[in-house]
Amino acid sequence: MHIQAKEKTLTRSRITALTLAIAASLGVAACGSSSSSTSTTSSSGTSTTSSSSSGSATLDGAGSTLAAPIYQQWGSNLKSQGLTINYNPVGSGTGIADLQTATVTFAGSDPALKPTDTKGMKGPAFQFPVAFGAITVSYNLPGVKSGLKLDGPVLADIFSGKIKTWNDSAIKSLNPGLSLPSTAITVVHRSDSSGTTNGFTTYLSDVSPTWASSIGSGKDVKWPTGTGAAKNSGVAAAVKQTTGAVGYVEQAYALENGFTYAAVKNSAGTYVLPTISNTSAAADGVKVPADLGISTINSANPQAYPIVSQTFLVTYQDPCKEGASSSVAAGLKKFLTYAFGPGQQTLGSGSSQLPYAPLPSSLAAKDNAQLAKMTCNGSAL
Amino acid sequence: MEASSATVSGDRSALQRSPLHRLPDRVLRWGLTALAVLILALLVYFFIRLIGQSHLALSKFGFSFVFGNDWDVSRNIYHGAALVVGTLITSAIALLIGVPVAVATALFLIELCPRRARTPLSILVDLLAAVPSVVYGLWGVFVLGPKLIPVERWFANTFSFIPFLGGGGSSITPGNYFIAGLILAIMILPIVSAISREVLATVPPEHKEAALALGATRWEMIRMAILPYARPGITGGAMLGLGRAIGETIAVVLVIGDAPTIGHHIFDQGYSLAAVIANEFGEAANTPIHSSALFAAGLVLFVLTLIVNIIARWFVARGTRGMRAAGDITDAVDAATVGSGALQ
Amino acid sequence: MNGVTLHGISARRRRTDKVMRASLFAATLIALVPLVLIIYYLLYKGLKAWSGSFFTTDPNGNFFGNPGGVRSAIFGTLEIVGLATLIAVPIGICVALYLTEYGKDGPFASVVRYFVDVMTGVPSIVFGLFIYIVLVISHAGGTGFAAWKGSLALSLLMLPIVIRSAEVVLLLVPDSLREAALALGAPRWRVVTRVVLPTATPGLVTGSLLAISRGMGETAPLLFTVSLAFGLTGNLNAQMNSLPLQIFTDITNPRSVIVTRAWGAALTLVALVLILNLVARAVSRRSRMA
Repeated sequence: MHIQAKEKTLTRSRITALTLAIAASLGVAACGSSSSSTSTTSSSGTSTTSSSSSGSATLDGAGSTLAAPIYQQWGSNLKSQGLTINYNPVGSGTGIADLQTATVTFAGSDPALKPTDTKGMKGPAFQFPVAFGAITVSYNLPGVKSGLKLDGPVLADIFSGKIKTWNDSAIKSLNPGLSLPSTAITVVHRSDSSGTTNGFTTYLSDVSPTWASSIGSGKDVKWPTGTGAAKNSGVAAAVKQTTGAVGYVEQAYALENGFTYAAVKNSAGTYVLPTISNTSAAADGVKVPADLGISTINSANPQAYPIVSQTFLVTYQDPCKEGASSSVAAGLKKFLTYAFGPGQQTLGSGSSQLPYAPLPSSLAAKDNAQLAKMTCNGSAL
Repeated sequence: MEASSATVSGDRSALQRSPLHRLPDRVLRWGLTALAVLILALLVYFFIRLIGQSHLALSKFGFSFVFGNDWDVSRNIYHGAALVVGTLITSAIALLIGVPVAVATALFLIELCPRRARTPLSILVDLLAAVPSVVYGLWGVFVLGPKLIPVERWFANTFSFIPFLGGGGSSITPGNYFIAGLILAIMILPIVSAISREVLATVPPEHKEAALALGATRWEMIRMAILPYARPGITGGAMLGLGRAIGETIAVVLVIGDAPTIGHHIFDQGYSLAAVIANEFGEAANTPIHSSALFAAGLVLFVLTLIVNIIARWFVARGTRGMRAAGDITDAVDAATVGSGALQ
Repeated sequence: MNGVTLHGISARRRRTDKVMRASLFAATLIALVPLVLIIYYLLYKGLKAWSGSFFTTDPNGNFFGNPGGVRSAIFGTLEIVGLATLIAVPIGICVALYLTEYGKDGPFASVVRYFVDVMTGVPSIVFGLFIYIVLVISHAGGTGFAAWKGSLALSLLMLPIVIRSAEVVLLLVPDSLREAALALGAPRWRVVTRVVLPTATPGLVTGSLLAISRGMGETAPLLFTVSLAFGLTGNLNAQMNSLPLQIFTDITNPRSVIVTRAWGAALTLVALVLILNLVARAVSRRSRMA
């Protein structure tokens, strides 16, 4: 009796002991092999952590999913210089909200800062344009592998459900050389809120007054027709699965996965494909306000692809005032200098470049000028 | 099973135990009570913060947040009737499909299955709980959804005369109420089955043997001796499953179609309260009215679960009250009925 | 039975019995079909990501070439969920003990029960947002995002499951056992710790496993509380990687090699939970009384 009783109580404590032992050994193992960025919190109680050794720092960021591959690649490239960059692609809105509470050092945001965003910041904040990504109109029509041309009003009618089949006269008149089947058009749009939807609907509102008044633009709109899919990958998969489907997909995704997309008419009247160079052209010559809050939708440049989204890196003018340690601020400066300089070489159409359009040199210069204005507790970084 | 070697301390009788000996009892009692109070306080605090964050949206939209049907993010209008309806429909489908299958599985494993196969099969069923929700959603939207479209279309067209269950066959997409409910049913299966198994394993053998001795077939024994005894526990498991179904986010996001409209057919696209939070919060965080609306959606879920739970507990209480009062009598009556059936 | 003629079971009842038994068997098969399909799908998509370096290197953020493995995610999940389990399971069992042994049908216990029931229906993302508002934004503990805050969010998720399932199981311990122990003179606390708990242990383990399995696969609570970090770390007061977040980040990446890594991580997650289930069952079986 005693023995059995002992066994029973032993089991519970055995489970607990086992769990504790595993946890302890994991902790020891992990601590022993953790990377150089061992985090110690700075005295002013901040989220941004740093190491006291030479010039190394950990930068925490969050925000846009479009820019995630860029920041993650730059993080990998800068590791040898002692910088650890943790970027959480949770969405532009949360990135801004995190920055407003100084929970991250920098935020990635596709749309420029709204007045309400700036008002919620703890101090003056800077936005730096970092890269550009086109929004392709990808479709699935077995007979039409290339050469499809669409213009703004037709796109608006397709995505609002007014044009229902591929051989509609409106599409035919833009594509006299193509034989278009009578397949029904299935519109695929994003079901989750996203900056990509924002860019696409901004373009549609620009080119179609009916769209602007009935549906409008935003990170999420009331689509009158079509099916919703979550994230780029969802839209891409839905387009691939359904014959006759058309959807809007980020350029990086479309290029990496071999999608078929249409050439879209830009503001100068030319039908342009979403190549990297045509995407860069959209940033060239666009009006740049003082706070660098540009918009590259429907750019005036005659070579530009008309549906291009920009992505910003947003941070405080004086990070130290919001709790960052001086080494984190120095790390941030190193990161930003890289971002507007050598980092831009990692973007482009080359086989080992990330499929995003880099900054035109004039814009990079403006970014650097704004960077020079950043301070740490009043003194220059 | 015997009690552990609990011996009386020394040669004192229990009645004469000193206060010092009662101390561990007191400590345990008050410790556990304090812990329960703490947990309750935490849950209440959670509820209060949730109300606080929802206040902006609820004060602006009032009742039309729940009963109005217009979820328009770009215009910042948040009337979520479509979300509530979608949540109720998918959870109902999940329960209707998932609970019977789960209980049936538990019955098979405990009562009918050869002993050696029981453990491996149980582990397999429980393994369904190991799959992360995002995998369920992706499998649902890439594999199950497209594969079932022809079946759904056939069903909708053949039974188009039945309201809601039929009709709407012309515009079926991989994501709809039915697929969402089906995926949820699969997700709640391990929970309901595991708990049902625990419950069924503790049905007193006397009940079962009595029924069998009186000539009941195996199934009659299950129906008359086991199920009534196990009903409260199984309902508890079903409530846990319901909780999972109501609150599941990622999987539903991927397979419900995400259309903020009230669908008229079971194969229409829809939306749910939990899915909308997952879909929109990433971008809504810096728009106060939008994020408040999403918190309000969470609050509505909270209240919805409360109402459903109250109804369920009331059902169970009715059943067990009768049982407790006439427990042995019921067993005897059942056994007698079975016996008399045997003599026919 | 020799020499006594008993009327046999009628054909109708025999048929019903056969049909129902076949149905129960069929239901079990139906329940297993999705499992087989999903495991097959997971293996098909994720097995090719598995390799030695998959488990021994951290993700490095490279878009081209070798993107690294998921070592830091595995360790992170074990650490975060481990801490959450240490919080949720003991507290949950204690609250369930209170409800079954002391509170019973009293008004306070009923209120606790209702709240716990309702909490099982709260979406996981709301727990994450709650911790985000209360602990992350306020920089509690000196940091914004931290692994222990993620553990708290997970334990909020796991607690109602543990309490609810433990309550069901504890109620199943027959009163006769308790009364027998009390009649032998055992004090109340001994009855609870030496009779009730050991009897219920297998069921408690099952319930806790359900909660832990749930906790391991949840993304949303971690998304807003722990955030993401690629490096391996044991520091619970900083950002940490985890398998669900690694999957979340990778699965929408344009690069297919990185998407495959996401599937490999999902397969790893399922394997981890399976191992956990097997180990816990083996340990608890030793004390099975029947």
